[in-house]
Parts: sequence; C-alpha cells; structure tokens
Amino acid sequence: MKKREFWMLVTPSLVVMVGLLAVPLYRTIEWSLQNVNYGDPGTFIGLSNYTTALTDPRFGRAVVFTVGLTLVVTAILLVLGYLLAVAVNRLHRMRPIVLGLLLLAYVIPGLVGATMFSWLFDSNFGGPVNYLIAHVTGQDLLWFTDTWPNRVVLTLNIVWFLLPFAMLVILAGLQSVNPEVLEAAKIDGAGPFRLHWNVIIPSVSGVIGFVILISLMDVLRVFDPLVALSPQAAAIGNESIMFYIYSVAFKDGGQQLGLGSAINVLLIIIIGIMLIPSIRATAREGSR
Amino acid sequence: MTISATQDVVARKVLGADEPPRRRRFTGTSVLVGGFLILTCLAMLSPIVWTAMSVTKPTDVAFLNPPVFTWQPTLDTFVDLWQTTNFYQYVINTLVVAVISTVLALVLGLPAAYALSRAPGWISTLLLVVALIFRALPRFAVVLPIYDLARSVGLYDTTFALALALVAINQPFTIWLLRNFFADIPTTLDEAAMMDGCSRFQVLRRVMLPLMGPGILTAGIFVFLFAFQEYLTATILTDVNARTVPVFIATQLGQTLPMLQQAGAAAVLFTIPAIAFAFIAQKYIVAGLSAGSVKG
Repeated sequence: MKKREFWMLVTPSLVVMVGLLAVPLYRTIEWSLQNVNYGDPGTFIGLSNYTTALTDPRFGRAVVFTVGLTLVVTAILLVLGYLLAVAVNRLHRMRPIVLGLLLLAYVIPGLVGATMFSWLFDSNFGGPVNYLIAHVTGQDLLWFTDTWPNRVVLTLNIVWFLLPFAMLVILAGLQSVNPEVLEAAKIDGAGPFRLHWNVIIPSVSGVIGFVILISLMDVLRVFDPLVALSPQAAAIGNESIMFYIYSVAFKDGGQQLGLGSAINVLLIIIIGIMLIPSIRATAREGSR
Repeated sequence: MTISATQDVVARKVLGADEPPRRRRFTGTSVLVGGFLILTCLAMLSPIVWTAMSVTKPTDVAFLNPPVFTWQPTLDTFVDLWQTTNFYQYVINTLVVAVISTVLALVLGLPAAYALSRAPGWISTLLLVVALIFRALPRFAVVLPIYDLARSVGLYDTTFALALALVAINQPFTIWLLRNFFADIPTTLDEAAMMDGCSRFQVLRRVMLPLMGPGILTAGIFVFLFAFQEYLTATILTDVNARTVPVFIATQLGQTLPMLQQAGAAAVLFTIPAIAFAFIAQKYIVAGLSAGSVKG
C-alpha cells in the first residue's frame, strides 16, 4: 500500500481520536499541574496536586482497595471461567441456550446489573439473599454499610458481569486445542487433572492472557457498580480510584479538578505498569 | 459467505454448530457437570428474575423485609413510569446515541482498519499499541476535558456530543476488531482487483465491504451495545435533555420507594431488548469476543 493511500484511509479516524482522546488526555495532564475549574484558565502550581494525592490516606486506601479487588476478581474469573468453559464444551444441543442465558449478564448495562444486585442482597430492599443468610446463620448482614459484606457483594457483581466474557473467550480457546495431543496424553495415562493442568491449560495460555488483560483493564477502572452498590464507599474504605476521581473532580461542581486530574494521571501510570506484558505482546502481534 | 472467515469458523465451533449429534450417555461426570451448569445459570439469572418479580408487586410490599413471595401481580409501576417520568424521552435519547455512534464508528473505523491490516510495519505496530493504551485509559481522563469542551462550544447535554465522545472512546476497540476480520481476507484478492484496474478505495468499497459482512455486523453490534450500556460518559455529558436510560435509573436510586420501583420497571423494560439481543445476535457476540483472543 502506498503511503499516501494509507494516510488517506487512516486520517478520518485519527482526527477523531486525536481530537477527542489525545487532546483531552493532554488537557488532563495540564490540569493536573494547575489549580483549575471548568471553564477557567487555571493557574500553574507545579506538582502540588500530586503531593496532595500521594499524601492523602484516602488515595492510598482507594489504590489498595482497587488493586486488591482487581486481583481477586481476576483470579475468580480465571478459575470459574475455565470450569464453566470446560462444562459448556461438553454440551451439544443445549449449548446455544446455555450460552444465551449466560450472556445475559454481559449485555445488561453494568449500572442496571448493579442495581439489580442491590435489591437481591440488601435488607432495606427486602433482599432474598440476605433473608436466606439471616435464616441460616441468624446474622443480619449490612451489605451497604459494613466494609466486608460490601466488598463481597461488589466482587460478586463484577464477577457476574465479566464471567460470560471470560467463559466465552476460554471456550473459544478450548476449540483450538489439538484433539490428537489430547488423545496422546490420554494414551500415556494422564488423568483428568493432569490432562487439564499439563496439556490443555498451557495450550490455551494465549486466551488466558487475554482474559487477564481485559479483567485488569476493566476492574482497575471500576465505577458503575459502586454507584448502585456502595453509596458510602469512601466512609467504609471501599472507594475505587475512579469513584474517588469522580467525587473530587466532578461531584458538587468539581471543586478539586486539578487534584482529580493528578489522580487520573497516577491511575494511568498504575494501569500502564500492570499492562506492560500485554503491550509487549501487542507490539509483537502488530509486527507479525 | 464464500470466503473462509476465521472468526466465523471460530464462532460456529464455539456454538457447537458443526458438531454431529452424539448419543446421550448418563455418567457420574455428566450429572456433576449438568448440576454445576444449572446452578451457575440460576445464579447468573437470579438478579434479573428477582427484579422482574419486584416490579410486578404492589408498591407497599415490593421492597418489604422479609421479602414477600406471594403477591397479586400488577403492572401499576409500568404505568407510573410512563405517566410520571420522561422515560419515553430517555429511551429515544439512548437509541439516538447508540445509532449515531454505531454508524460513525463504522464509517471512520472501516478504512482505518483496512489500511492497518494491509500495511504491516512500524506505523501499524505503533498505532495498534497506541490503540491498546487508549482503550485502557480511565474514562475520566478524557471525559472530563470533553465535558469542559462541550460546555464551551454549547454542545453540553446534547445526544450528538455524547455520541461523538463514545465514537472516539470506542474507536480503538472498533479498529482492533475490524482489523482482525480484514486480516482474514487474503491479500491476493486486493492484488487481483488492483491488477484489474481498481484503486485502493475501489478495492475497499467493491471487494472488501461485501466480504466484511460478518465483521461489520459484529463490530456494529458491539459499538451499539457499548453505547446502550454506557453510564459514566452519559452522566458527565448530559443533564436533562439528553439523559439516557442508565443515567435515569441512577438518579432514581436513593429516592422514594415508588421511584425506586419505577427504576426497577425501567431496568426490566431496558433488559428485555438486551435479552433478545443475547439470543439473536449470539453468533456475532461470540465471534467478536473470540476475535483477537485466539489468534496465533
């Protein structure tokens, strides 16, 4: 392809991405160095927003909570997603129906799903899950206002939303495992556990890497579920980094837009670090 | 489709469409697997089912603790939703945003993805890595400046501004997905068409577009779905005029019980098309999710 043709084809898309992604990103970096508000030119204050963020215990709590949540959700997604994919892979006629039912959680908007979860759990809304637990253990859990029950319900909601995706991607990977290799391993006397652990999982490592990538990106940026499930997130230590940004940079007129922008930049750095392996893999894929 | 589209083959495999039916065998393992699947499906459906139950209860028992399991079903909440809120307007807004952003995303993304799939080399690699980074950006890092911009040019609280922002935010994903579909079409086709005197643009329009049917449909379905689901961008960029359904549902939370139940009714009405979508477009959702994940 000629250079001129390449650029003519790419330019329209590039203009939109530069104008509405790159330029705004530059603005965020600029704002992070300013004392600023919307529609206001702002005054340069150096790195003081960053020192405020890094010395703020609330930011530290948000980072620890978000990273912890991300690691837990990713681990659960891999284990459950793999088990579910193996189970669905055994189905034949029922498969489209089961896939359709499992896909529901993926097509429902995250906020709507989280709202539904809040009604399923919290006693304020007569949640049947809470009713069941109270019936069995005699304990009435405070799903919205107690730190750990709230963490459990947030984790369950995010897993609920991402599990169909993880299952489908791993299922697609299972389809590409060479049946002859499986046959050979069985003849060599590998039991079901060895078969999965030593043969199948290594050969689907590519898709597992993909699930990890998406899960890291999505959960590090988690926002929607907290709106419905954790209205008092900051008070009980369950604030995600994105929720923190929202409350300082937008809610109530964006009093601390500079600080919010600095946290945005810090979040980008955290995501960047966690994505280094994927970025390298992408670079290899692209130059293929 | 006469061409061998890898994504399509993967989707058919995942859906089990090509497998010959086998005779059923009931073994210990299959009972275990069946039980696991039934339990998982029930757990995955439980929030949806419970919400659907809650909104057909009379308001005074809908959120009662302990929960009520027998009641006289009523559709009053849906009537209330229709009469006391602008739900109708919010549905129209959501659809307008989803349609505009889908059309624009494809019009911009198709040529770019084609060029990237046909021009290996450092530019292509660089752009793909940049696309991944942009896809991983926290929304607020771009949406708050877009909010500032939209206010200053008078586009705040319009469906167009929201649609345009979503086009940009989803463009990296769109290009990635379409590029993988283009990469499955052999370049010998381009060369043959150009030998016959087609320019690059004619190749794209006359040769590639007809072959890209499944790819375009898959990308379109995903961009539509993302716009339909979006809460964060919509809550920042809209107020009352361009409000979308997810934003409406969020504003109803923490209010009175009747308003909460209306939010539930809105959620159920909003979920029904999504459920239809999950079954009708299943093949394309599967193809899209597997694209780029099983390569190599």
